[in-house]
Amino acid sequence: MVIKKGIYCFLFISLFTPVFCQTINITSFELPNGLKVILSPSDDMQAAAVCIYNMNGARHDLADNRGISYLFQYLMFNGNENLESYDHVLFINKMGGIVSGRVSHDNSVFCDVLPASEINVALWLESERLKSLRLDDASINYQKNQIFNRINRLGEASLNFRAQTWINSRVFDGLPYAQPLYGDLNKIRNLNNDQIRESYQKFQNLSNILLIIAGKFDINELKAGINKYFQNIPPGKKSQEVIANISTPHSSFSVKNWVLPGLKNNFSFFAIKSPGKINYDFLYFDFLRYYLTDPRLSHLDYMINKVNKLNVEIEATYTDYFEANVLTIQMSCPERINLEKAKYILQQEFMALTTKLINNADFRAVRSLMEIDFNKNTYSLEDRCLRIGEFYHMFGELNFFDAYLRRLRRVSLYDILESAKKYLKKENQVILNVYGE
Amino acid sequence: MSMANKFLSVGKSSQWLIAGLFIFYGIAHLGADTRQFSLSTAKGFPIRVLQDNEMHFVHAELFIFLDSSTQNYNSLIISQLTILNMFARELNSPSSNLLDSLLRLGNDYQVEQTPEYIKLSINFLPDRLASFTKVLRDIFTYQSFHLNKFNLSKAKYWSFFVKNRDWKKDIAFLLAYQQIVGNFYFSQGLVIQEFINGINLAQLRSFHLKTFRIDNSLLIIKGNVNPYIVLGLLEKDLPVLARTPAKSKKEAIKIHSGRKIFVLNNNVSDYPMIYWFDVAPPLTDVNYLPFFIGNFALFGFPGGRIYQSERSQVLLGGYKVSTDIYSLKNFTVFCNYLRLNYADLENFLLLVDQERKKFSVRSIVRKEYLDALNYYLGRAQVETGNYAYGMQQMLDRYQTPPASPLPSARNSESAREVTFERVVQVMDTLMGYKHKTGIRERGIIVLIGNANLIINNLKILKTDVVELRMD
Repeated sequence: MVIKKGIYCFLFISLFTPVFCQTINITSFELPNGLKVILSPSDDMQAAAVCIYNMNGARHDLADNRGISYLFQYLMFNGNENLESYDHVLFINKMGGIVSGRVSHDNSVFCDVLPASEINVALWLESERLKSLRLDDASINYQKNQIFNRINRLGEASLNFRAQTWINSRVFDGLPYAQPLYGDLNKIRNLNNDQIRESYQKFQNLSNILLIIAGKFDINELKAGINKYFQNIPPGKKSQEVIANISTPHSSFSVKNWVLPGLKNNFSFFAIKSPGKINYDFLYFDFLRYYLTDPRLSHLDYMINKVNKLNVEIEATYTDYFEANVLTIQMSCPERINLEKAKYILQQEFMALTTKLINNADFRAVRSLMEIDFNKNTYSLEDRCLRIGEFYHMFGELNFFDAYLRRLRRVSLYDILESAKKYLKKENQVILNVYGE
Repeated sequence: MSMANKFLSVGKSSQWLIAGLFIFYGIAHLGADTRQFSLSTAKGFPIRVLQDNEMHFVHAELFIFLDSSTQNYNSLIISQLTILNMFARELNSPSSNLLDSLLRLGNDYQVEQTPEYIKLSINFLPDRLASFTKVLRDIFTYQSFHLNKFNLSKAKYWSFFVKNRDWKKDIAFLLAYQQIVGNFYFSQGLVIQEFINGINLAQLRSFHLKTFRIDNSLLIIKGNVNPYIVLGLLEKDLPVLARTPAKSKKEAIKIHSGRKIFVLNNNVSDYPMIYWFDVAPPLTDVNYLPFFIGNFALFGFPGGRIYQSERSQVLLGGYKVSTDIYSLKNFTVFCNYLRLNYADLENFLLLVDQERKKFSVRSIVRKEYLDALNYYLGRAQVETGNYAYGMQQMLDRYQTPPASPLPSARNSESAREVTFERVVQVMDTLMGYKHKTGIRERGIIVLIGNANLIINNLKILKTDVVELRMD
């Protein structure tokens, strides 16, 4: 009788569990040369993504060479001994695919999304890039100049860019994120080309690289392709790990006023230092960010513009770093009195969040929206590769999907209250006011 | 008794239970391919379901068709104000049942309008299906038009409009559409504040009553949902069909695709945008794909003639052109667009015209034809990775008249019908490359940026410029 019940129980659990437990299938293996390969198949589409996730970013540049990793964002498309400049883009684009590349502080990600039937082309192109990269003086100098001109132009034209650079230097004081990705703009053209070439040896070191493939593929064909193109790449030595050196908390509170002649609008940039992605509190603060600033829910917009009718434009940006982040709320209004009122309301709202629970309806709406956004992002092959890579990079685990959803569904009102108490306090704030003369 | 015998000796009802569980398991783990269902409620509401078991959320698109009900309300502004009053999150004061229901659903929705329909796209979690059908009921029975909200929507019409990231493209398309279809829905031109002020709330109510009807709509749902549960919930929640008003007679559409250049003044310290619109055959037409191939051979990146020609010129900096395609019932509109320096405006525009004319002397070559075809088929596969993939095809299929051929899927079979010779022929006749025969340049160009700077930089093309001021 006990056995019979056991069989029923087993059948019941084994049959129903996969139906109600949503998951994304992720597996991994390692090549003899140390390259870690992560696979996430999806059979309901005809596209695939091949992604090189590099666990090196701008923070790994030596202090004197800050900006080298950022240069690779452009040099990676420069061709190599078999391919001309931008041939990589040309190949993928010709078959209807999409190419992207991004160097951040913590990592660098290069991704090709293309028809599933052409997956071997992407494997070949990515392996070519790892084997050799065209790093002659002319190419490097060209990219240095391009970056200098682009950033210089941006700095001159964009108030937001200048403001965010200043805010980051204050909020992340003592952290690797305080400096921009490109380091000191005045020094970028003086970076030593030999050191750039030497850095590439470290940059393309296989032990720092994850090859992530998502979408539709035949596993046997794919493995054959991976072996063909990647197994001959020489192994490398493991370089430094990302260390979550949660810096000693110190107050970063500061207020600065800029006066710019000819400015029609008045601006206030309200920056809040917040937990990094590796931090357990990241999810809770993200919840607060959604609640306060996501345009689909924005509680701040509701309080400032609907309740108090101040007619203030509100925009928010959020960094995406492992160790610490900054939420920047930008408010702008031609009438300075309204902007000052909005700043007061913002502080009152922060205060309210640290003393009382948000209402249940808002809580449920935010949680639903976060889950919807998360599911939407993981449906996109490129985003899925990025999330898998980041999760493995930070925690050494693959199943980001279940881990995130499990935690999100367990978030309570009290977690949000505690997070608000911890992060919305004055010591975490940096305020930059920009007024017209 | 052995273990196996013990298992086999369980009662008959238990065996049925186990069999039932296996059947359930089979259904729940059905192949990952997307399955399509075509249903309709007893009240005449058409539903299309794309069942995708790998999707962990539900994506729904509700189409409210405009073309059959606009004779008495033939103005863009009435429909746009109706959308604002019903769906703008900024206008939820006093709160409406509809916006509160959408909030409970997660508030991840957006509304867009084309000349042919209003489209509401919503994403929600599968366990909120019952709430979703109530949202639909709230849309069809909406009665929360409020004078304060209405006045605010009129006063802030433009500030709402420019909140959309693609507002420049939207307005460029409106202008081009107005030019293409001179006698149709958007023909009253660009919305100006005096016209907005003349609209009253009763017009919105009346528009809603006549347009937001279940027999004038289509719902397409994609996700891990049971289509029959969707149908059951809709049967329960949707309102009883009101009396159908007499359908107005549609005017025939006359298409004008001659050259026109518009300059739209927008004083921001940013580079100007160029939008280049060309009228092409509808998706169902055999000439659509040849047109696509021709457009790709011209504007494609990086193999297109314009980009290649740009790179060889010292004056231009290798601008990348993007392409969007607006699929309408009777034709499609190709929009090629880019952002560039003021100083390069005229050079670029002349270069495009020059390259188009060159087709008459140097026709498309086989390599260009194959590259474009390859891109077309590849892009179709890449798009399957988008969660909204399949919705447009469903809409096209729904709108295709019974006698017409169904829009073909983008696959190698449909592409094989497009011969090289046909591409050459279509480009000659539809894109206006027969310069020798005196056909004027085609394509409607909309430039958005600082009008003074634009006009100062257009020396040869100056005579064609029409300036429209937004402010």
